[in-house]
Order: sequence, then C-alpha cells, then structure tokens
Amino acid sequence: MIPGNKDTRDGIVFSIPFLFVYLAFMIYPLLSGLYISFFKWDILSSANFIGFTNYKTLFTDEKFYTSLWHTFEFVLMTTPTLLVVGFLMALAVTGTSPYKGILENIFFFPYIFSMTVVSTLWAWLMQKDWGVFNQALMHINLQPVSWLTNENLAMWSVGLTTLWWTAGFNMVLFSAGIKQIPKEVYESAAIDGATYLQSVRHITIPLVRSTTVLCLILQIIASFNVFGQVYVMTGGGPHGTTRVLVQYIYETGFRYYKMGYSAAMSYILFLIILGVSVLQYALLGRKDQ
Amino acid sequence: MRHNPKKILLRIFELLIIFIWVFPLIWMVITSLKLEQDVITKTFTFWPRNPTFANYTKAFTSTYILNWMGNSFIVSLGAMLITLVVDAPIAYAFAKIKFRGRNVLFWAVMGGMMVPFQVLIVPLYLQFNSYGMINTLAAALLPRVALPIGIFILKQFYEGIPIDLEEAAFIDGSSRYRIFSKIILPLGQSAMATVIILSFINAWNDFLWPLIVINDTIKYTITVGIANFQGTHGTQYSLIMAGAAVASIPQILFYIFFRKKIIAGIATSGLKG
Repeated sequence: MIPGNKDTRDGIVFSIPFLFVYLAFMIYPLLSGLYISFFKWDILSSANFIGFTNYKTLFTDEKFYTSLWHTFEFVLMTTPTLLVVGFLMALAVTGTSPYKGILENIFFFPYIFSMTVVSTLWAWLMQKDWGVFNQALMHINLQPVSWLTNENLAMWSVGLTTLWWTAGFNMVLFSAGIKQIPKEVYESAAIDGATYLQSVRHITIPLVRSTTVLCLILQIIASFNVFGQVYVMTGGGPHGTTRVLVQYIYETGFRYYKMGYSAAMSYILFLIILGVSVLQYALLGRKDQ
Repeated sequence: MRHNPKKILLRIFELLIIFIWVFPLIWMVITSLKLEQDVITKTFTFWPRNPTFANYTKAFTSTYILNWMGNSFIVSLGAMLITLVVDAPIAYAFAKIKFRGRNVLFWAVMGGMMVPFQVLIVPLYLQFNSYGMINTLAAALLPRVALPIGIFILKQFYEGIPIDLEEAAFIDGSSRYRIFSKIILPLGQSAMATVIILSFINAWNDFLWPLIVINDTIKYTITVGIANFQGTHGTQYSLIMAGAAVASIPQILFYIFFRKKIIAGIATSGLKG
C-alpha cells in the first residue's frame, strides 16, 4: 500500500540527525580512544606511537591491579545486597500492608537525588566527630566508628550509601515483575495451605527470574562503573584503599595527563563490561528457549 | 484479624523502616537549619537550638549555587531538546519504514548502550580540546545527546500505532514528513514525555564529564559544584547541607509532578544511573 520505492530514501533521511550525533560523540571517540591507547601522549607535547606498551605497562602496574580489585570488591559487596533488598522492598510494596503506598514512595525517593547530594549527605552522617551516626553510638555508650577513614570499613560505608540511594530502583523493576504474576496462582496456593514464605519461595522467586537476571546485569554494570560516590565520600582514601578503576582512569588522564595510558585502561574496563553483557545475552537467551 | 499481634509487630517494623529510610533527608534539613557552632559542638542536640535560615541565605549569596543550577538547567534542557530532535525521527524510521539495512543499523545503535561512558572521556576531551570548546557548557551537554534508550522507548511506542492511520494519510497524498509531524508525533506524546524525563534526569545527574570538561568554578554544573563544596567550605556542614537541599529542589518538584512517568520509564527501560 505504502509506496515502497521511497522507503530507503525516507529511512536514511529520518536516521541522519541521530546518526550524525552518534558518529560524532560515540563512534568517533570510541575508535579514536582505541587509537590513542597505542600512544604516549600528555596533550602538551606531540604523541609518540608506542604500540602495545601501554597495555604491557598496565599488567605490571600495581595501582591498576588494586584499583581493579577495589572495583570488584564494590561489585561483590553491592550486587547481592542491592538485589536482595530491592526484592524485599518489592514484596513489601506489592503486599497487603496499609502503608505500601508510603513505603513505595519512601524507598524510591532517594534515587531521584543526584549522586553528589547523596554522597555529601552521607559523608556528613558518617562524619567521625560530629556526624549523627557516631553521636547516636556515643549516646548509648558505644565507641564511635571511623566509617570513612578505616581501611576495612570505608568501602562498606560507600556501599551502604549506594544501597540507600539505588535499592529503590531495583524495587521498581522487581515490583513490575511481581505484578505480572497472576493472582490466581497465589490464591490456589493459599487454598492448598501454603504459607506466605512458601508462596514467596515457590511462586514469586521462580516467576520473577527474568527480572532478577535483568536486575543482576544492570547492577553489575552500574557497580563496575562506580566512581562518584567514592570520589566524593573518601576521595579514594584512606591510603588508596577505596580507589576504584574509574577513578584511576580519571586521575591518570586528567591529573597526570597520561592520555594514552588512561585510554588503554578504559578499554580494559570496557572489555570486562562487554564480557558481562555477553553473559547477559547467554543467560537471557537460555531462558527464552 | 485486626488485633493479630504478629500484624501489629509487622506494622511497627514497617514504620521503623520508613523512619530509617527518610531519616538521612530529615537530617539534611535539620542540619541546614542549625547554626555553625551548634553543629560542631561537644553538646550535641537533635533539634536546632536556634532554627535559622542563615545557611540558605549564605548559600545563595556567598556561593555560586544559582549559577550552578542555571548551568545544569541549560545543560539538561539542551541535552533533552537535542535528544528529542534526533531520537524521534530515527525511532519512527525503525518502527515504520522498511528500509535496507534497518536491522543492522538498529543493533549498531542499541550496541551503544553497552559502551561505558568512561571509555569515551579521554578521546572526547581531546576532541573538544581540538575544537577549543573545553570549559564551555556546550561541551558539557553534547556527549549526552546520543541516547539509544530513548530511541528504544519511542520505537516500541510507535510500533503500536496502527498502520491504517498512515495508509489513509498516504492515500490523501501526505508525505512521510507530514505523517510524522501530524500523526506520529502527536500520538506518541506519552512515550515522548518518558524520554524527556529520562534524558533530563540523565543530564542533570551527570558528574564525571562536567567534572572533566569544566574548569571555572562559576561554570560548574550543580553536581560538580556540590561535590566541590566540601573542598571549599571544609567543615561548614550546615552550609553544605543547605546547599545540598537547595540543589535537590528541582528533582523533588520533578518527582512530585512526574512520579508515575519516572517509575514507568524505569520499569520499561531499566535505565540505571
């Protein structure tokens, strides 16, 4: 019906505006970043081609390894907790509680605040001498805690902040999944004498599996990209124990102006995240079969 | 049932959780209403001894917070408008026009969602440096305009618009451009609203890129400005909290007016900050 001979022309014309910005601000930098990663370049002087040297240096750079490890640490800390808490929140807001409307709003609300507001706020709550957490601890005669200045604790504190900030996001995804489960399934389980916990375990959890996979992958990617919270709350300290990979990439590029080296590191991060994304399709693909 | 003690305990637990979850925000406001000497003190009090708006006055008068918010508005509005102008036509093309290479192009565009922004910071910086655009708001917003998720949301919606409407318009002699502007755009308003909100929030919350590309304090976006508060105002916690509270007003208003849209947008797209 629709005259077909103009489809190709129209398709291209309608695509051009986006393709222009996409090429300029995504494809071109992506490729030139790869190119730059083979150079030694500090912006001021001219670039020197050094082949794979940046990548070789990277594998002997202790700071790179520790930063990568801190990123993994953050991923391992936050992924399970944010998934479980998000799921529990979703159970609460899809249940029968008279407060479920309030709970849904309260749980989601922190997510709308910008990362820097959340981070400065929590840095203040966790402040060692005057922060309200330690004031409360001292009030009940407990020792104050060095939330952000203790090497073993700082990353957990950042993780706790992230939990408060973004658990509501996972709640939204989970509750959308739970709402799709037909009521009849629960009703017939209740008739058969299933308790609440049994129906959660044998109905809800298996039936939101695809949501869980989606949440898991989004969470892992978001956690791999962590930077802002750490940068604002601890600055990577104490003694570099919370320096994450993105921060090292940022500092290498924009504090020490080692552009090529910074680009090489960012490509390694890209490969890791790409690996996770491929895993996503493997997992989602298996589910669809 | 009403006096079931288990249920009462559960309700009390829920109220406790509600309190814990809002407490940080309450504390932000309480701190912002305290005098400096009542914040850093050996004699801690929960409520402000002498409630004062002095910190808010100071935040407005002796910091660049209004400039920063203005900058963030320019960046977010600019990013949002360009996103709409470039995303809507290609989403329509993907949804309704059977052109050669459509599927390949679609996946090439969606693949962009997998690229972490960090990979682009060095090459983008050098790119804008070579244009002489470092330290400009345009540089802060331009890399944020290619939003593949927006295309995805719009395409899903446009696909649901019945083809009959377009066919009828074709028979009447309308061109594609006319159909797009007179039929598709008006019918797609609700999906458009979702993209508007997501792209605005996305740009407003951006931190790493403006941190890199903007050098002058007065040109900071609000996220960078607030992050730098701690450096410049050290231990003036009540001032910092007043600044943080002011910086959050747009988001709170946004939430109040578009709560349903924001949540629906997340549930359908899985956009994560």
